[in-house]
Amino acid sequence: MLVTWKYRPRNTFIQRLDPRTRFLFMFSVIFGLTIPEIWDFRIILPLFAISLTLYLLARIEWKDVRRVWIFIFIFLSLIIGLNALLSGRGGPSSVTSIPSPVLFYVPILDLFGWMVPITISKAWFALNQMLRMLTMAILAIPIPYTMDPNVYGTAFKRMGASDNVSFTMDLAFRFLPTFARDFTITVDAQRARGYEMEALKGGLVERIKRLSPLIIPVVMQSTVTGEEVIDAMDLRAFGTSKRTWIKTLTYAPRDYFMLGLGALIFITCCVLKWGFGIGDYFVPDFFTAFFVG
Amino acid sequence: MSNTPLVIENLSFQYRTRPELAIEDISFDLKQGELLLIAGSSGCGKTTLARAINGLIPRSYRGERKGRVLLHGRDVAEMKIAEISQVVGTLLQDPERQIVASNVFNEIAFGPENLGLPRAEIASRVDQVMKRLNIEYLLERETFNLSGGEKQKVALAGVLTMNPSILLLDEPLASLDPASAYEALDVFRSLADEGKTVILVEHRVEDAITINPDRLLYMEDGRTRYLGPIRELPREIDYTQVKLPAPWVVQRVKALDNAPVVSPKPEVKERGEPLVVFEDVDFRYDEEYPLILQNVNLKIYPGDLIAVLGPNGAGKSTLVKHAIGLLKPTKGRVLVEGQDTRKMSVAQIARVLGYVFQSPTHMLYAPTVHEELEFGPKNLGFKPELISKSIAESLETVNMKEFEEYPPLALSFGQQKRTTIAAVLAMRSKILVMDEPTAGQDFANYTRFMEALCGTYDGASSILSAHFAATLFITHDIDLAVTYANRVLLFGDKHIVADGAPEDVLKDADFLLKYRVRPTSLLNLNLSLLPKTGRFLPAESLAGFA
Repeated sequence: MLVTWKYRPRNTFIQRLDPRTRFLFMFSVIFGLTIPEIWDFRIILPLFAISLTLYLLARIEWKDVRRVWIFIFIFLSLIIGLNALLSGRGGPSSVTSIPSPVLFYVPILDLFGWMVPITISKAWFALNQMLRMLTMAILAIPIPYTMDPNVYGTAFKRMGASDNVSFTMDLAFRFLPTFARDFTITVDAQRARGYEMEALKGGLVERIKRLSPLIIPVVMQSTVTGEEVIDAMDLRAFGTSKRTWIKTLTYAPRDYFMLGLGALIFITCCVLKWGFGIGDYFVPDFFTAFFVG
Repeated sequence: MSNTPLVIENLSFQYRTRPELAIEDISFDLKQGELLLIAGSSGCGKTTLARAINGLIPRSYRGERKGRVLLHGRDVAEMKIAEISQVVGTLLQDPERQIVASNVFNEIAFGPENLGLPRAEIASRVDQVMKRLNIEYLLERETFNLSGGEKQKVALAGVLTMNPSILLLDEPLASLDPASAYEALDVFRSLADEGKTVILVEHRVEDAITINPDRLLYMEDGRTRYLGPIRELPREIDYTQVKLPAPWVVQRVKALDNAPVVSPKPEVKERGEPLVVFEDVDFRYDEEYPLILQNVNLKIYPGDLIAVLGPNGAGKSTLVKHAIGLLKPTKGRVLVEGQDTRKMSVAQIARVLGYVFQSPTHMLYAPTVHEELEFGPKNLGFKPELISKSIAESLETVNMKEFEEYPPLALSFGQQKRTTIAAVLAMRSKILVMDEPTAGQDFANYTRFMEALCGTYDGASSILSAHFAATLFITHDIDLAVTYANRVLLFGDKHIVADGAPEDVLKDADFLLKYRVRPTSLLNLNLSLLPKTGRFLPAESLAGFA
C-alpha cells in the first residue's frame, strides 16, 4: 500500500491564508455557536453558507474526500440519531421534551412496551443539529488537504502554545506515515499467516481479542520508535532553552479581513443571544405546518 | 579548553536494571582528525560506550558510572546536554527514527533551532552543511519519502549543523544497501580529513576498514580486547564475531590450523514441476503510478535455495508479495502449485508458501511462544492434534524448546527471528520466503542464524532442505548469496536481469555494479579460486585452497 499525505499545494485563496487565520476563524465560528448556545436556524443557516463557501474555495477533489464525508455522515447520523431522537435525557432534553405532536414511534424494546415517540420538535432538532455540526465540520475537513504539514508547529507556537505542544504537532505529522506503514506491514505479515480480518466473529470482546495480532505489533513498534526519537531529540538539545522557530508567519490584508469576519461572527452571536435573546431553539411554524397542515 | 577532544579514563558503567557491568575499565583518548573504529559483537558494550560519550549516560540511562569522560577537558557528567550536543554529534543506527521533522530543511535546522540561535545564523548553517554534503537538491523534499541513503545524509546534516568537533556514528551502515554504505563511508573519511574526530561504531569491519581508520578498538564482554592500528590487527580478534575481509579470515584459519568446515549446498538434481510460476507479470499500484514490475518471468523449483539481490526500490519485495498473493499482478499471472493467485486467498496460499517478514516486531504479538506458533495453524484450520505436533516439531527444529512458555517480545532479537521461522514451520508451508533474514543482527548472530538454517552436520540435511521444498530470501548481503544460495536472482530495473547459479551470475563485477551490487572480498577470493574449488565456499572453507 502506498502511504501518501493528502496535502497538495494549490493556488487557492484558502491556501494563501496564514494558517493561524484559518485556525482562529474556525474557532470563532465554533465558539460563536457553542458558547452562547446558538440553536436558531436563522443564525446557523448564514454561517453554514459562509463555511460552505470557504470549503468550495479550497477546491479539493471529491475523490480525495469521499471517504471522509461518508465517515462524517455516518458519524453525525449516529450521534444525532441517538442524541436527538432516542434519548430523552442529557443535553438536548430541554428542547426535545417540548410538548409537540408525535410523528411516529420507534419500537426500541417492543416486548416491554418501550416505544420512543418522535415528535416534530425532535425531528426539527435533528435537522438543526446536523446543520450546526456541519457548519463547524466543513471548516475543519479541508485542513489536512490544504495546509502544509510543516507549518502546524509554527502556527501553534505563534498562537501562544509552548515549544513542547507545538513541536508535538510537527512530530505527529512526521510519524503518521511511519505509523501507517508499520500497520500495513503488520497486516500483510499476519495475512501471510492465514489471518483473515473478514473472519472477525463473535461478541465485542472476542472481536477485540481477534484484533490483537494487528494492534500489539503496532503498539510495540511505536513504543520502540518513541524511545529512539526521545534520544534523538535529547542529543540535539531539544527543550534545553528557548527555541527559535525558523519559519516565520506574517499576516496579509486578506488575513485581517478573515480575522475581522471571524470576530464579527463571534460578537454577533454573543450580542444576539445575550443582548436580544435571539438564538434559542424553536420549531418554526412552516415546519410544524408541513406535518400538521 | 583542552586540545584533546576526547579522553576516557577507566570508564565503567552498570545499568541500574542489570546485575553485571556493561562496560569495564575503558581508557583511550582521541586527537583532532582521528578516525577510530569500534567493533565487537552485540552485547560487547559498544552502544553503552557511545551513550557514555554523548551524555545519554548518565542523563537518560541511569546506573553507576565510574571513571571519567572528558570532552575538551570537561567531564560529560558536569556539562549541560545543550553544551555536549555542540561537541559530540551522534548519528543513530536507524535514520528513519532519528529524523524528527517532516521536511528536509526543518530537519537540518532542528538542532540550531533548539539552541535558540538567530534565524539568519541557522539559515546560513543549514546552507553550508547542505553544500558540504551535496544535498542541496533535497531541500524541499519530505523526509518520509527519501531513500535510505538520502535519509542518512539528511540525518548527518542535522548533526553537522550543531558544529560538533566529535562525530559519533552508531552502526551507520546497518540500514543501507552496499553502494549507499560506501558513499556514506567516504563522507565520514572526508569529515575526519577536515579535522573532525570521528568514532565509527560498526561490526562490518570489512567495509569500515576501506576508509583506513587510524585505530581500531575491539571490545568483548564490555572490555577492551584490542586497541591499536588496523594494520597490526592482532590474532585475538575472532573472525566469527566481526566481519573481516575474506583473505584475513583465510590467514587466520591457516594460522590457527582450524580444520575448514565445508557444508554442501543443496543441489538441484532434477527439475520437477515448478512450485511457483510468474508469467509475464507487470505490476503498478494505480493507473497514475509507474510500473514496479515489468515482464517478470520466474519459475521456482523444488530444491531451489534462491538469493534475490538488487538495489533498494527495484521491486524485490513487490516480487515476493506477488508469490504470497498479498499483491495481484496488473498484467500476466502468478501460479502457485498450478493455481492462479487471483483465484486464491492469501490464507490458501499460506499453506504452500510461508513468508517471514524482515522485522520480527511486525508480527510477534502473543503472550507465549506457544500461542504465537499456534496462530498460523489455527488460522489455516489445522486439527488440534496436528497443531500440537507441528508446534513441538518446529520448536525442536529451531532449537527453542525451552522457550515455549516465554513471551516472544521478551526474547533476544536472534531468538525472535527464530520464533518467526518456527511460526512458518508450524504452518507446514512448502516454500520459505524470507525478507532480509539477517537485517538488524550483527555478524556473529546472523552467521549463527543462517548456519542453523542452512548448515548441515554429519551428512544430515539442513533445516531448510529437510522442511522446505524450496527457499527464497531477499538480501543486500552478497556474501549470503555466495555462501548459502544455489541460485541467484539479480533484480534491477523492474525485472530479473540475471538468474542462475551464483558462480555464473556473480562473476562479472561491472555488471553487478550496474545494479548497485558491490563485489566483496569473499566473492573476489572465491572467483580467483574457482578453478580449484569448482564452486563458491565460505571464507573458512577457502583456507584449504588458498
